[in-house]
Amino acid sequence: MKRSIGNRTEISTDNDIAISVKNLHKSFKLPTEQAFGLKQAIFNRLRGIKGYKEQKVLKGLDFEIKKGEFIGIVGRNGSGKSTLLKILAGIYYPEKGEIVVDGALVPFIELGVGFNPELTGRENVYMNGALLGFSNEEMDTMYDDIWEFAELKDFQDQKLKNYSSGMQVRLAFSIAIRAQGDILLLDEVLAVGDAAFQRKCSNYFASLKEHNQTVILVTHSMENVRKFCDRAILIEDGKIIKDGDPKKVAEAYTNLWQ
Amino acid sequence: MSIPRVLNRKNRILLKELTKTDFKLRYQGSVLGYLWALLRPLMMFAILYIVFAKLLKFGSDIPHYPVYLLCGTSMWSFFTECTSQGIQAIVSRGDLLRKISFPKYIVVVSATLTAVINMLINLVVIIIFALLNGVTPSWGWFLIFIPLFGLYLLSLGIAFLLGSINVKYRDITSIWDVIVQALFYAVPIIYPISMVASSSEAAAKVILANPISQCIQDIRYFLITDETITTWNYIDNPFVKAIPILIIFFFLIVGALVFRRKSKFFAEEV
Repeated sequence: MKRSIGNRTEISTDNDIAISVKNLHKSFKLPTEQAFGLKQAIFNRLRGIKGYKEQKVLKGLDFEIKKGEFIGIVGRNGSGKSTLLKILAGIYYPEKGEIVVDGALVPFIELGVGFNPELTGRENVYMNGALLGFSNEEMDTMYDDIWEFAELKDFQDQKLKNYSSGMQVRLAFSIAIRAQGDILLLDEVLAVGDAAFQRKCSNYFASLKEHNQTVILVTHSMENVRKFCDRAILIEDGKIIKDGDPKKVAEAYTNLWQ
Repeated sequence: MSIPRVLNRKNRILLKELTKTDFKLRYQGSVLGYLWALLRPLMMFAILYIVFAKLLKFGSDIPHYPVYLLCGTSMWSFFTECTSQGIQAIVSRGDLLRKISFPKYIVVVSATLTAVINMLINLVVIIIFALLNGVTPSWGWFLIFIPLFGLYLLSLGIAFLLGSINVKYRDITSIWDVIVQALFYAVPIIYPISMVASSSEAAAKVILANPISQCIQDIRYFLITDETITTWNYIDNPFVKAIPILIIFFFLIVGALVFRRKSKFFAEEV
């Protein structure tokens, strides 16, 4: 059952490479039988059945991201984008390969991580802030701005379960954009919401770009890729098939279905 | 995992906030709220007191027996709460583990800290009862923090060890429930250890070699009466005396090692 583990190291230097990925591999062991449990595990062991199927998700990725670059990662569903992002974020371990992350990295795999429906909006704001690394005192100073921006001031002391899903997203987004880091990882999180929300997201992206923030954006929106990205990477079946000019990558992505 | 990283600012904030949330959620939606942290052990005590002290006439040879009993049941609840919450912590916080990257031990520690807070509240109740019952306060009371810490370390070790196995094999939660039931009778909580000692000295020694018994008897010794039979005053052989301490260290070290190895894959498996 021993698994090999690749390396993910975090450093902090003045070099101009923010992330470098070399020969990254990842596969998952998918259980072939539904039953979770000791009995099944013992039976499988006795019968010499592995009880899982190995699925290769990433098959050797190599790329580098420079500081200040706004990078789009695109690809079909199931191509391995989200797995890549989770490995970069340090949530999954790389199976093989080297990853070096230079600087503080803030991942947004999902908006409102840790939101609990039984707690009030106020309590959830502090909880979510703690997950982004903000202390209570720091949250106190931005507390009013968060509610102002989310346009939900009157709902602060309501339990989150009484919020509509749109309201939850607005609140989560309003907290998320406070996060400060050298590298931001965004996973399609901003693909939800109505037109007004989309405009807020666009403004947020624009301000990130203006501040030369290093951003890695996983998206299906070629419009955003063309508009904001300095560079884009197209992943297909666990491999990079195109890396470079966002317009060309967006075109290649669209051509996947033709 | 070096020390500065383990205790860095971000992790401390997270630990504090998770513990707070856990504690809030525990009593969410109940009319009496936090009061349940006090009421639960008191009610358990009332039942045990009526059955064992009044009906079965246990413990007539022990001074302050009601407080002695309350102390035992509260510490037992602390141990069970600490271990069962700790074992389930990784699974119940799976949502977080899959979405952000942080040291996984934080979820286990925060779950056990909720039990620590409950225990400290109970301790206040025990002390009030002890004073009402005529126990003379002394500086020696502060020594209870040594066995309390031992009990906490044991629970933490068990939570780390079984919690990491529980991610893949959820049977652990059910198995642990049964083990806890059995352990309850292997620890002198409802029966006085003197009762066992009078019929079999060997059996009493086996019971006292259990770290849970050792800690609970020590707490009673320091807090209530120095007539309490403890591992230290009942067992002569120094090697046997070391057994409870060794068991605590065994769970702590093995638990930490297994947890460290397995925690890398919690995000994928949970």
